[in-house]
Parts: sequence; C-alpha cells; structure tokens
Amino acid sequence: MMETVNTETALQNIQRLTDNIETVIKGKRNQIKFVLTALLAKGHILLEDNPGTGKTVMAKTLAHSISEETAGDSVSFKRIQFTPDLLPMDLLGTHIFDDIKKEFIFKKGPLFCNILLADEINRASPKVQSALLECMAENQITMGEITYKLSELFFTIATQNPVEMEGTYPLPAAQLDRFFIKIVFGYVDEETELDIYKDYLGINNNLNNLKQVLGIHEILFLQQQCENVFVHEEIIKAVRNIVWATRKTPDIVLAASTRSGIIFLKCLKAYALVNGRTYVTEDDVKDLAQPVLHHRLIYRNKEAKVSALNNIALAEMDRLSKLKIN
Amino acid sequence: MRQMKIEKKYSAKKIFARITLLIIPAIAIGAYLLWHLNEYYGVLESQWATESLFLATGLIAGCLFYSFRFRFITTTLPLLLLLFIIGKIVSNIYTGEFTAFYAITKFYIFSFLFFTGWLAGWGFARLRWFPVILSSLIMLLQIIVISNTSDITAKKLVLAFAPVLVFSFYIVYTAELVRNMNEDEPNFSWFIVKKLLGFVVAAGIILLLIFSFYKKDFLAIEQQYGGGKSETQTPNKESLTKENKDGTVSNKKQMGLSGGRSSTKRLVFIAKLDNYFPKTDLPNPLYFTYDYYTKFDTLTQTLEVDSLMPSNDLFQPDPSKIPLYFTQTDSSVLLKSKGYLDKKVVSTEVYKALLSPKEFLAPATAFFCQPIAVEKEYKQQFKSAYRAKMMVSDLNSAYFVYNPAGNKVLENFQTQRFNLLRQISNWNNEDSAFMSYYTFIPKGDDFDSIRALAKEITKNATTPIDKIIAVRNYFLSTDETGQPLFKYTDNPGVPGLPSASKLNYFLFQNRKGYCAYYAGATLFLLRALGIPTRVSTGFLTMDRSTKNKGWYWFYEDQAHAWTQVYFPGYGWLDFDTTIPSTEQQQAPAPDGTPPITVQTALFVTHGKVIDVDTLKKRVDMSVSQMIYHDKTFDLKKPVTLNMDVSLATITRDSGEVPLSELKVGNEITALSFSDQFKNISLKDSNSYQEIVEKIPTPAPIDEIKIIDSTKEQQQIAKEIKKQPASLTKIIWIAISILALFILLIFSLPWLIFQWFNYKARHTKAIRQKAYWSYNAAAYYCNQLGYSRDEMSPTQFAKEKIDAHFKTNFYSFMLVYLKSKYSKEPLTHSDENVVQNFYPTFYKTVKNKIPFRERFSKFLNYYRTINFFSKPKI
Repeated sequence: MMETVNTETALQNIQRLTDNIETVIKGKRNQIKFVLTALLAKGHILLEDNPGTGKTVMAKTLAHSISEETAGDSVSFKRIQFTPDLLPMDLLGTHIFDDIKKEFIFKKGPLFCNILLADEINRASPKVQSALLECMAENQITMGEITYKLSELFFTIATQNPVEMEGTYPLPAAQLDRFFIKIVFGYVDEETELDIYKDYLGINNNLNNLKQVLGIHEILFLQQQCENVFVHEEIIKAVRNIVWATRKTPDIVLAASTRSGIIFLKCLKAYALVNGRTYVTEDDVKDLAQPVLHHRLIYRNKEAKVSALNNIALAEMDRLSKLKIN
Repeated sequence: MRQMKIEKKYSAKKIFARITLLIIPAIAIGAYLLWHLNEYYGVLESQWATESLFLATGLIAGCLFYSFRFRFITTTLPLLLLLFIIGKIVSNIYTGEFTAFYAITKFYIFSFLFFTGWLAGWGFARLRWFPVILSSLIMLLQIIVISNTSDITAKKLVLAFAPVLVFSFYIVYTAELVRNMNEDEPNFSWFIVKKLLGFVVAAGIILLLIFSFYKKDFLAIEQQYGGGKSETQTPNKESLTKENKDGTVSNKKQMGLSGGRSSTKRLVFIAKLDNYFPKTDLPNPLYFTYDYYTKFDTLTQTLEVDSLMPSNDLFQPDPSKIPLYFTQTDSSVLLKSKGYLDKKVVSTEVYKALLSPKEFLAPATAFFCQPIAVEKEYKQQFKSAYRAKMMVSDLNSAYFVYNPAGNKVLENFQTQRFNLLRQISNWNNEDSAFMSYYTFIPKGDDFDSIRALAKEITKNATTPIDKIIAVRNYFLSTDETGQPLFKYTDNPGVPGLPSASKLNYFLFQNRKGYCAYYAGATLFLLRALGIPTRVSTGFLTMDRSTKNKGWYWFYEDQAHAWTQVYFPGYGWLDFDTTIPSTEQQQAPAPDGTPPITVQTALFVTHGKVIDVDTLKKRVDMSVSQMIYHDKTFDLKKPVTLNMDVSLATITRDSGEVPLSELKVGNEITALSFSDQFKNISLKDSNSYQEIVEKIPTPAPIDEIKIIDSTKEQQQIAKEIKKQPASLTKIIWIAISILALFILLIFSLPWLIFQWFNYKARHTKAIRQKAYWSYNAAAYYCNQLGYSRDEMSPTQFAKEKIDAHFKTNFYSFMLVYLKSKYSKEPLTHSDENVVQNFYPTFYKTVKNKIPFRERFSKFLNYYRTINFFSKPKI
C-alpha cells in the first residue's frame, strides 16, 4: 500500500503509464491523454472512428500496463464485440442450474472485469446498450434480487463507428451522457504511419512484452489525487460560462446539463494531472471542451455542429487568456 | 428559412450599454457642436438646447430601432417620405410668406437634425467603423466652422477642437469595448457604471480645463440663463454676483451688427437720458453711438471704421481708467465736429449690466465722461456707471421709420424738423475734402445700378431731406400685389456689415435683411445722390418706460446700425431706415426699477494704498487728487489720509470684492457720501491743506474703487482684442491639428506597445510582471504579424513564436500560467524565468525583423483592434 504518495510521485506515475502506452501506440499522445483523463476522472470513454485505427490496441495496452495488486498478472481485460443479436445476458452473465448442488448459480459475464473494451457499441440493440450503460453509471449489476458489485476499478473503453454507417443503432443523447469523454481516434500522421509499417511485428511484440508499470491501487490513488488539483475560481466560472453559452446559442438545440458541467470539471482536474500539473489552466478548458461536451449536445444543423461549441470554448479561452489574475 | 418575426439583433444589456456609453456621449458632443455652431450661424437662432433635443431623439430612436433586425433602406426611405410630407403640411398650415418661411426653415433644421441623429444611431448600432467615420466628420465640420470665422484665436481653436478630439478617442475606444463586451458577465451593470463614471470624470476634467481656459465666455453663457431673471430679481441675490463677475460684453466683441439677430435678451445697460421734445415732457430718445463706418474699402468691398475720418467727432474714453467722479472732457471733439444750430447740452447716466467697464456709449456728439458710483442696492445688477454729456441738435431724434402716428407732439415735431431741413438744399459751403470723403462711392456696375435706383426713387424729391424720406418710403413701399417690397429678417447670412455685392443682392433680388443691410443700402443710395452719409453702430433706443420717464433699457438684441446724414448747421442727424420686422417679436421684458438717484459724492480722493488693516477696517492712502464739494484739487505733495472703511463697499471693474482684495500699492478712488462732510464749511479761497486739516480722522468712507493697473488692463484687453488671421493661417492650423490627430491615431498601436513595454520592464511584483511580460510579448508578436488567432496562448507561444524565433516563450508561458492559475508559490527558478524572459525575448524578435518592416506593421491599426477584441462567434 502506498498511502503517503505525494503529488510528485503521482505525476511520475502518470508519466510512466503514458510512456509505457506510447511504446505501443505511436503518434497518439493526445488521445492517450484523453483516455487517461477519463480513467482518472472515474469515467468512461467513447472512441469514435473507422475500424482499424488502433482503438482495440489502445484498450489492450492500457489493460496490460496495470497490474493486479496481488499477482503479477495484469488487470482483467475483456473485449466484447457488439452485434445486433447480442443479448444483455451475454454481457452481465446468467443463472445456470448446478446439477450437483441442485441450485442456480450465477455465471458472471464479461462485464466483471477491470477494463472493458466495448467494441462497436452502436451495432448492438438499444436494450444491450442500456444494460451496459447502467453498469457504467452504477458500477454494479443487479440480477433478480442480488446485486453484484463490479470491481473498484471499472473502466470502459467503448468504440463506435461513425453514426452514418449502415447497421448501427445510434446511442441516445441520454446514454451518450454517461461517457465522460468522446474523442475521434483519428489516423496517425504520415511519418508515424511509416514507422508503424516498418515495425508492425514489433508492435505485437511490444504489446506482449509490455511491463505492468502501475498497480490497481496506484490507479485508484491517482483517481483520488485528482480531487487535489487546484481549480481557480475563474476556471470554474469559465466552465459555467461555457455551459450557459450552450444554452443561449440558438444553434444548439439540446444544451449542456449541470451534470455535464460537473463532469467537465472532473475531467479538467484529471487532465491537468495527466499533463503533469496540479492546477487547471485555460489550455485545459480549450482542449477538453470539445471531447467532454460535444457528444452531449444536439445541434440545429451541420454547420453548427462543426463550429458552435468550438466558438464558445474559444471565446471563453480568450477571455481567460486576457484576464489579469493576481 | 427566413423568419418573419423581427428579432432583436442584440441583447437588451448590449443595447443599454450602447445607449449609455456611446449615445449619451454622442449627444453631449452633439449639443456642444450645436452650441458652437449657433455662435456662428444665425439661421440656427440660438436654440441649441432644443436642437440638441431633436438630435438626441434621432440618435436614441435610430439606435434603438436598428437594434432590431430592420433593413436600413426599406425603413429610412419611408422616414424621409414622412418628414417630407410633414414638411409639406407645415408649409400649407402657415399662411403668410414670413411665418411659412420661418416655420419651414425651422422644420427643416429640426428634421435635418433628427435625421442626422437617426443616421448616427443606425451607424452606432450597425457599423463597426462608424465611430471613426463620425470622428472624422465632426473634425471636418469643426475645421469648416473655424475657417469661416473672421477672428480666430488660440483659445477658440482649443475650445473647438479639444472636446472633439477627446470625444473621438473616447468613442473609437468605447465602441470597440461595447462591441466586445460580454453581457453575460455577472458584474455587467457595475462594469457599465464604472465606464460611465470614467467618462463623466474625464469629461468633467476637460470641461474644467476649457472653463478655466475660456472662463469669460462661459460666464457669458451662464448669464444667458441668469440674464432673463436679472430684471425682475432683487439685486441682493447672491447668485448673480458670481455670474456677473467677469461676464461683461463689449459692443465690439459680441454685438457686431447683428441687429435683432440674437434671440437672447440679456440686459446690456440702462441709461437715463435727459432729452425731451422742446417745451414738452415727452422723452426724445437718441440712439447710443459706439462707432462710425465711414470708409468704403474697395479691396474688401466692405465699409470700415476709419480713425482718420475728416471731422472726427468720436469721443472714446475708457471709463474704467478714469477715477470715480473725476472727469474727462474732449472739447476738441466739439471743435472738430461741425457747428450746430439749435444745439443743447444733454446729459445721460449709463448703468452697465453686461457692458464691459471699458466701453463708452453715448448719443452723438459726446465730449464728457465722468464715472459715477452705483447705489449700493443696485451694485450687483450694475457693475459701473458713468455720466456723459453731449452736444445734441434739437432736430435729432430716433423717430424716423418708427413714427408713432397719432401722437400730436411727435407729428408736429417731424413736420417742423423736415420743414427746417428742407431749407438746406446743398453743401456748397462745405469743405471739399469732407464732401468727397463722405459722398465717396466706388465705380463699377454694382454701384451704377445703385445710382440708377437712387435717381429712380428720388425723382420727385428736390431737397435732400425729401430724398432721404423718399428712400425711407421706398423701403416701406409695397409691390403690385400689395405685399411689402422689403422685409426684415435676421437670417440673411453671416453677421457683419454686408459687402457691396451682398448689398446689390439685397436691394434688387432678395430684399430681406437686418439693420446693417438697410443702413449699408441707404448709405450708398444717399451717397449716390451726393448727400454726405455715414453708418453709425451702437444701440437702438426704444422708449417703453411709462413709469420712469427718460429711462431706457438696452438689451442685446438692440444692437443696431443706422445711417447718419450731415446737414450743415445741424450736424450729423440720425436717419434709421431699417423697416420694422413683421414677425411677432417677443414682447419686451418689463423694465425693472432704475437706480433713480445719482449719488453725489461730497468727498473724493484718488491715490495709492499705503496700509490696509482688515481687522480694524482701516485703510491708509496717499492722496494725490481730491474732489471736495465738486471742486477738484491736484495735490502737489501727497497727503496721507486715514480712512474708516467699515461701511465701505470695495469694487473693481469686475464687481464688488472683499476688503482683502485691497492691496498696498493699489491705485484707488475713495468716496464719501457722509453727512459729516456737509457740515464742513468751505470758502472758495480754501486751499487743499486747509480742507485736509478739517477732515475727520479716520475719514468715513462709503466706497472704494480699485483701479486695475495697466498691466491687468492690458491682460483683459489682450483677451478682448481680436486677432484677425489670414486664411492661410487658418488652413495651416487646421491642417496641423488634423495631422496631429492622424499622427495620434497611427501612433496609437505603438503607444500601446510602449505602455506594455514599460509595464513589463518596470513592474516589481513577480506575478504582475509575468502578466505584463506576457501581454507585451503577445502584443509585440501580434503587431508584427504573428497573431494568435484561435490558438491558446501556450500553443501560440510554442508553435508559432518559439518555432519561428527560437525564443523561450513557451517555457515562460508555463510559468505564467502557473502564476496565474495555481495557488502554489513560484519557485526560485520560476522567478528567474519571469525576470529574464521579456528583455531577451524583445531583443531576439526585434533583431529578426528589419526596422522598416516593424515600422510598417506598427501602423496597422487593424491588428491592434484584433488583439483586444473578442474572437467572432
């Protein structure tokens, strides 16, 4: 147990984790940061992109970098490929009859893990989606009368194909709200792409040989540490202003909720820590506004979808940057 | 889809901010400009307050209206149409050419002002660059106004340009501020209040500066309000004391020849004139003369005052320089003027209200001036007074055009004097130089037509006086339709004596004008007939006082010009041909009570102050001159006199002053009305030594007048003195002011940078220093073309600046952000980064960019605005 860890070591731990992931995932530093932010803010992340951009590897790498406290094993990592015929019990588990004991026993489903990769979440039926999302929110599963606690560290990395693709069930806004952060994973740049091709075998090797740099308790402790990150009053104001601005703009039909504002703040703290700081800055506000809020809003038209939130965040960042705080 | 509902374009808060921060100051400057314009253009009729109200209505209405999503053209055209239709209706309502003309003119002025305000309101609501355009327009307007003035002084320039310049800076700055302000700020209203307070304070300071700079004129304006009251007010009201302290006017400076132009009714002076029709008690008013216009300057085509005129009979003493009760007589005036028949000496007492203490006005031909004391209870209303004596012909009278029919005495008088004058048919016995001077009329087509007209209208008259009457009758005649041929108007143009071409226009085409036009025209008509004529300026004397016979009140609008004709044996006689105005004149204000009794001082001494004891109220003076019971003594050896001044009022030209203003060395005149002096018997043979011995010690004194030293007087004179400036000078001044303005505008980006630069280098507190260093660096980069755009400052520093200039902006930014958002203290190395960042950064960037490029980029105003403005959403 490391109870007396100070911010210095916390920051070092994050650095180690990031570096470790980077040995496998190349050219995606920002995305790694957002994933870690969601992890440290005790949230979940939704990655949206076309297949084959490294979402799964990302999830795997993260899982492999964190060790189970007792054994030297990495934390449990499960991957579920969502399909239209998937049923909730496939996720949660099911009661089966034990011939020997003559009773029903609960067979835990893949949700009982630490890091879950929910692949192509929007291919599953809404029923399954909601079952998963409930777990994400409550961190527990209720089967009949019995409630099963999930692991203390339960982090979902969901991926989804762009909504326009065929055979998808778009997530309703209310459910999207459960994801702290949604990012577009994106392609790597040309240089990095070349490096990846040159060394595609190495990536697999790296993944298999990945060291477990942090224990599960260290992650939990980092999650606690996030709360110690200092947020200046003006930053809190900025969050308020952004949330309010989404409500005032006619371009935004469904505006940000108070809960999303709180999530925004949590993410800001985690993001600052991920960036090696113990205070939140205007850059954090600018960087996070889009990933945290964008998927919660419904826009009037496509044009607004592209620019409305961005403009609000930019204006607020600009206000902060001109502020004289002393 | 286009929405049919008209939406608000801006939030209510923004509109409120715009109204308070932009429109109200714009109204203020508008009112100021209108006030200023009113001084120069008679057509505005000194109604600047009402006019400002119209402008303000237009401004506010326009700004509010266009805060909604109205289209400009589709809304403005109906407005113009509406104004046009109302104009048509107004012109139809008023019958009678004059009333209609006035109503229409007034309506056009007001609708023009309203529409201007409306346009400006639209500009404020919609156009980003409008404040710049507005500033330039106002500046241009002021330049035009200033270049139209005949007398231009440094003070006038300051008065004209300083507020406009300040307004320009304010409005350009504030407009951007309002554009970019975040109305969702919780402290929004406090923000507005702060800015507004700032403006009010700044405006107050400017006003104070201008006020101290141009005190006299402002006091005069103040009197515009106090003046109306002054007649009915009891003179003891303290409020008047201060107002009147310096706000004197002189005929020359303010009156001009504006005739009834000014609609302000300030009392200039009152006078008691002891002139009555022979053998009656009916007062015979005489015009009060100030100056004569005798010489026609062919170069400027104007009539001029000529100090070298033949037989100069103008007596121009400075009453403020003559000690009280001492006299100045110029008998040479009498000698120079031609002899009189039926002459008599008439005396007048003039009590000055607004008239400068230096001015002397009296009916012609004055030769005697004696400053007299004003009764104590009238001292606040009338600053000073003098008695004048003049030689007056029995035949002279103000009545000529104004001929009250039905009054037997007057009708008899007119017939009699015309009969007497008919006996004079020529000026053969007169000096030829005198005649050629006073009948001079230039050659040229303009004057040929005047000659022809003179012949035409006087073809039935044989004697000079009949010709004069014919000219008068011509001005009073009616045309075929029965309408009067000539009309009186206050608004023919810029005041002043009209030039010859203007006179021709007046006589043959427009036939409308004020007194100066009639006087000028009459002068040429009579001179064309060989009658010696001159134009006299001064004040019109109107007999309206039934209860105080012989007392006349002179208001500002009584400034007048008329003609004087020389009749051998009778001298110069007044013939006023200015026809009465057909407009409804304002009923003359009821005249107040005049200071009836002329105080006779029994004992007057003139000399210097030796000692002042303000506690015991004793003054010692060294007497050099003395009047005792109307007998004047010049003391060969000064005598020291101890005076009791406990009851005395101390005055100087500007009004009553406390005893403490009396200083050792002052030249004073001390008076006593005390009975104690009555009892001292005096024989003609008594020498002054004997009188001095009999004077009680201390001598009771009732009034002390301080005579301002020549230096002080020169100072006042300097302020009053006109400084005629050439057109080139005006243009140069205008150009240099404009250049200065442009220079200031263009150097503004640089000045702002210098401010940041200074703060970045000289701030001590480390967090503050970080802030200023960041701003200086960011501003410098921005101005040099590296704008931050949509990047965050850190991104900007890292990706744009450091990448290009190889500076350490990014590492500084990290420390700066830490200092800004963290509660942790800065470490020693952090502080070092802040301390060392800016100077090296500045040097590096500066060295990378050549001077020429930096210079041209610093002229870019747009970048500066971009730096401070909010990104567009």
